[in-house]
Amino acid sequence: MKRIWHHPEVKTERRYWRSLGEYSKTPEFAEKLGREFDPALSGMDGESRENSRRDFMKVMGGVAAMAGLASCRRPLEKILPFTKHVEWVIPGKALLYATAMPRPWGATPMVVTTFEGRPTHLQGNPLHASGGGLDIFAQASVLDLYNPDRVKEVSRKGDSVSWSAFQKELRGWNEKSWAKEAGAGLAILVSPGTSPSRAALLNDLLKAYPKASLYSYAPIQSKGEASAVKAILGDGVKLLPKYSAADRVFSLDCDFVGVDAASESGVRDFMKRRAPEKGSDEMNRLYILENRYTLTGGIADHRKPIAASLIPVAAAVLAEEVGKLVGDSALQQMAASLAAAADDKLRKWIAPAAADLFGSKGKSLVLAGARHSEAVHALVLAINQALGAIGSTVLVLKVDSPVTGEITELVADLKAKKVKQLFVLAETDPIYDAPGFAEALKESGAVSVTLAMRQNHTSRQSTWVVPAAHYLESWGDARTSLGAYSIVQPMIQPLFGGVSENDLLLALLSRKQLGPIEIKVAVAPVDPKAPPAAAVAPAAPLPVLSDPSYELVKQTFTKIAGGWDEEKWNLALRDGFLPGTAYEPATGTVDAALVQTLVAKAIKLSPPSKGVFEVVLTADSSVLDGRYIDNAWLQEAPDPITKLTWDNAAWLNPRQFNELGLKADGDKIKVTLAGKEPLVIPAIACPGHASDSVTIPLGYGQTVTSDVGNLRGFDAYALRSDIGELMLADAKIEKAEGTYLLAITQENYTMEGRAQVREGTKERFDLKPDFALTEGMDSHAPPVLSLYKGRTGKKSAENPTGFDYENEHQWGMVIDLSKCIGCSACIVACQSENNIAVVGKDQVAKGRVMQWIRMDRYFSTPDGVADSPSFDDLDNPEMVNQPVACQQCESAPCEAVCPVNATVHTEEGLNSMAYNRCIGTRYCANNCPYTARRFNFFDYNKRNPLIDTEVAGVSMNNLYAGPLGEKKPQEVVQLQKNPNVTVRMRGVIEKCTYCVQRIEEAKINQRRVARDDASKLRVLADGVKTACQASCPSEAIMFGDLANDKSTINSWKASPRNYQVLKYIGTEPRTSYLARIRNVNPKMPDDRTVKTGEASSRLNAF
Amino acid sequence: MGNYFPRWTNWVPLKIAICLGFTVVGVVAAANYYFTPKYTRVGYEPTQPVPFSHKMHVGEIGLDCRYCHSFVEVAGHSNVPTNQTCYNCHGPDRGQIKKESAKLALVREANVSGEPIKWTKVHKAPDYVYFNHSVHVNRGVSCVSCHGQVNEMEVVKQAESQSMGWCLDCHRNPENNLRPLDQITNLNYKPEQLSREEFYRNLMTRGASLQSLGEEISSSKPNKNVANLEALVELAKNTYGPKVTQLEVGKQLKANWKIHATEDCSACHR
Repeated sequence: MKRIWHHPEVKTERRYWRSLGEYSKTPEFAEKLGREFDPALSGMDGESRENSRRDFMKVMGGVAAMAGLASCRRPLEKILPFTKHVEWVIPGKALLYATAMPRPWGATPMVVTTFEGRPTHLQGNPLHASGGGLDIFAQASVLDLYNPDRVKEVSRKGDSVSWSAFQKELRGWNEKSWAKEAGAGLAILVSPGTSPSRAALLNDLLKAYPKASLYSYAPIQSKGEASAVKAILGDGVKLLPKYSAADRVFSLDCDFVGVDAASESGVRDFMKRRAPEKGSDEMNRLYILENRYTLTGGIADHRKPIAASLIPVAAAVLAEEVGKLVGDSALQQMAASLAAAADDKLRKWIAPAAADLFGSKGKSLVLAGARHSEAVHALVLAINQALGAIGSTVLVLKVDSPVTGEITELVADLKAKKVKQLFVLAETDPIYDAPGFAEALKESGAVSVTLAMRQNHTSRQSTWVVPAAHYLESWGDARTSLGAYSIVQPMIQPLFGGVSENDLLLALLSRKQLGPIEIKVAVAPVDPKAPPAAAVAPAAPLPVLSDPSYELVKQTFTKIAGGWDEEKWNLALRDGFLPGTAYEPATGTVDAALVQTLVAKAIKLSPPSKGVFEVVLTADSSVLDGRYIDNAWLQEAPDPITKLTWDNAAWLNPRQFNELGLKADGDKIKVTLAGKEPLVIPAIACPGHASDSVTIPLGYGQTVTSDVGNLRGFDAYALRSDIGELMLADAKIEKAEGTYLLAITQENYTMEGRAQVREGTKERFDLKPDFALTEGMDSHAPPVLSLYKGRTGKKSAENPTGFDYENEHQWGMVIDLSKCIGCSACIVACQSENNIAVVGKDQVAKGRVMQWIRMDRYFSTPDGVADSPSFDDLDNPEMVNQPVACQQCESAPCEAVCPVNATVHTEEGLNSMAYNRCIGTRYCANNCPYTARRFNFFDYNKRNPLIDTEVAGVSMNNLYAGPLGEKKPQEVVQLQKNPNVTVRMRGVIEKCTYCVQRIEEAKINQRRVARDDASKLRVLADGVKTACQASCPSEAIMFGDLANDKSTINSWKASPRNYQVLKYIGTEPRTSYLARIRNVNPKMPDDRTVKTGEASSRLNAF
Repeated sequence: MGNYFPRWTNWVPLKIAICLGFTVVGVVAAANYYFTPKYTRVGYEPTQPVPFSHKMHVGEIGLDCRYCHSFVEVAGHSNVPTNQTCYNCHGPDRGQIKKESAKLALVREANVSGEPIKWTKVHKAPDYVYFNHSVHVNRGVSCVSCHGQVNEMEVVKQAESQSMGWCLDCHRNPENNLRPLDQITNLNYKPEQLSREEFYRNLMTRGASLQSLGEEISSSKPNKNVANLEALVELAKNTYGPKVTQLEVGKQLKANWKIHATEDCSACHR
């Protein structure tokens, strides 16, 4: 009897959807359902398709004939061994080095995989207290090293010159002016950083040239917090939230797991407390007020969208409520005037939250976002003080930061013509992102020297451009957020001869000769025929050339370690950090009077009203402040909220999106601010966005040299009139003409509209821990009985493990939805490990994104959807993330339909893929219920998808130009490829392999060591980590051997929250998920959890 | 009765026969070209830039394979030696052997210039095949199984087809190629040379039981006689003959080392 698959989905109280199209069940969306690859998007009408097919046959005939001829002979290949052996290098084996990525807020400890000297992949450093895991930016930074458009030579006014010319110029400045006038006229602009070596150099520089001036600049930085801390707690002090100690967290527009993260371990520490199981640390609770959905908003237990300009009011209300509970009248009073503007709803939302914070006094924490003023940060400090958080959940640490001025002072000095030579060492691009800087520089007539990795706006305007080295190419150091001294060591010689910031500072101090060091060895011409006899004398040993930058780091190390110790140095290099180093705690007490003065200075922002919008500028999830614009992996990684790739757009509330007369995502709006050129930008309807507020991510709209970053998106920096402004009031928004194509991935690869996330409240979990097993179809679907034996074993006395396989390893994966924040670091890690191609905006828009992991972002609203959208529901839906890759089904539907056995099962339970066998029928992809398979429509690795080619006068995307297009692999980018994974060509399917190359490597290593000892053949428990698992900053992914009792994965699989996606269709996936748990506060007025007037209680509200 | 078939149809059978003939010849020629070991290049013997003789170095002098291919036991690749390795013996400042030989001019030149010698690759696996030397040589597969009697080759040539079918032949029946670990790089090894008693004693010192060894020799008839090593040797002699055979060694090693040569795609294709 034929089994009827399409049972009606069981109605639950919540409905999960990924896009507004799905939400309102538009016909377009219904059409898309069930189509693996959308034919409507192929961009051809009937006739052109017919023509192109004919052309295709013509061309392919010729290609096939030539290919046939060419393949008769095997290409001649050469083997080039080293002439002198390189220490530690074993051809074909990876070498791992510990290093750290310097960030504005500190160091990110990491381990670099190198193959024959090429860094290919980054991973968190498990030896470090941060425990491994990398954020998406750190994960993708290896690709920046291989950017073919990096600055490759020194240039002066656009003409390339030699390093010695630059040295000469430096010497000239030194002799003619700095030495005589104590450095007057010398100005240096740096990025904020924590490198002790750089601090020492800057100190030396100020000693040598007392009249030189230093400035520091980052376009998106928390000036409010810095100045509030400086005013209240004093200089040389920083605050660091200690999430591991916080039971209750209240965030005022602070995306601390997303782009506002300022610590290498913050995400991990916070998410560690999200497991609901008893015995572990008790689950924390997070409240958030924000104007747009952020990653932090997504994991929050209670979220309320409010305009960003209302955050000061909300902070004041919170201060008042906390003041009331603690009995701190001073706190109440100082907040009173600001809080008066609050409406009743906001007050009712904050009051129970404040009570909850007070209930966990000493273990609660309040945070404020970077964009807010010092008044907000001062209030938050006072609240934290009242809650007893300072010292327990908020650490006050003594830091050593070099005394530098702000960029505003630099602009003033430039205008006053005090600067003669300006060195821009900052990683950012001040001409692009600092308003007024370009004019000031031009006006001053100063000679500028820019140290740049890639040509940007600043370097193009600057007199001298010096190529910068990547952090994987240079010596350096940094401190982690807690102050652990970490060494940055080079993995490779600078690919394009760049120098680091330290190198340039050393050169300014005349302590280093810049440019390539030429080792001259006299090569006597050798005549192979004549016996050379003793002509070849043993070469004299070369003098050991010591790099001053290396010596500098060693000196700093000596200072910090309290004396030179070779062994300690070697250990620190091996581990990546010096154990036992940390910032000292500072005693911090908040003086109420100081807070009061700051709060009194609060600028009363007029809250937005109907028709008058506020513009919220935010760091972008792909390019941050614009510095990663050239990184193709980041550009193609979908934004975690909007799922937009390759562009930015204005985020609007769906109700107002509709009211403005906008029809679909990509319709343009005009943003007008007083005194500024209006910005025309495509808009996106974002559920959960605050009203009268528009969010625009920064960093786009740059003119750069690379195909990756040039003219992508729209420049929102242009809206700022002041440096550091991240919130602009009184904007006018109106509909503009035209639509812009946005490559949004959220409707691609849907699973037939079956929402497959399971979630519940903590209360529900405590009552019925295994609720996830009986939800949806699983509540009534009969057990799956198969006529075929398949390869799924049953547990029995003879077969205790329950696997019907011969092999001792059985691999499986569990993903904890309670811990997944949706940051997409796994996507980039997978891309880096598995050589996944970048396909470009056009292809993404056609639904051909190649990333093996798809981060599904679901919004959930009450069930029962009308045909027209209910804007009340869309005002504040909930958000859940679910990463989906190949589920490695034990009875896999894809395997049954492959006509050529290209995808088959292995003894270890993997659904393996033999690319060389695949003929590209795509049957497997069509039959995959998880839509986890990707097809190579083009030879993305050989044909650059980012450029246009002109064919017979018609400009078209290079991919479509066929044999007339440019066909050359990008040689520099190729260096990044993992040699242990096949680079796929056109016409084959690919998908997640559970990092089979890592599994095989581990097995082979084990066998190699075991040799004839058969008892040691099994890979050690937890001996294999997949790339996504190793990169996950919140440790939400667990992978391991199910047949090994000692594997941690078995305890995850035994969790009552464990469920399989689409269990009822009987695919028996090896990947399973742990249901998401929300720790809901029953006293909160959120009507999305408590349905009044209905039988359903909060317990089954999800 | 009309003449239903026009005249030209008389020739159709002949035409078909001729076409068929051509097709058959074509298919046979193509099969001959593509499916015979010539395509997989057995006997491929390129001239190398330095006329290094394996026959002399290995066969006559007796250098171990691992002297030059030093990482074969730890890495997937079996490395081609660095210039320094050659220089250990031939360097004017080191071993001084044949330090003036014209054949070694390139080696001396490379030592000075640092430019590597460009050897021509003889054995080539396609890019999508991940063969790992270390796991094979550490688990009883000798160099000779895939590379032939290199110790007798003046110029290295491809001895086996190294096609996928050839790989699978061994993965399906690994016992045909397994040998004791101390014989891996002995290219002249013959199982007949082994002492049966020593072979079994070695296995027993590594933890094999008399019972299991006996069962592996003849599982059909239960052996109560296997009380000691002598009895075991006797049993083996009765089963395999007076000399040790490859099948005997292979089967015992496969069972005792738990050799499981996988046939999964992902073993070689990643």
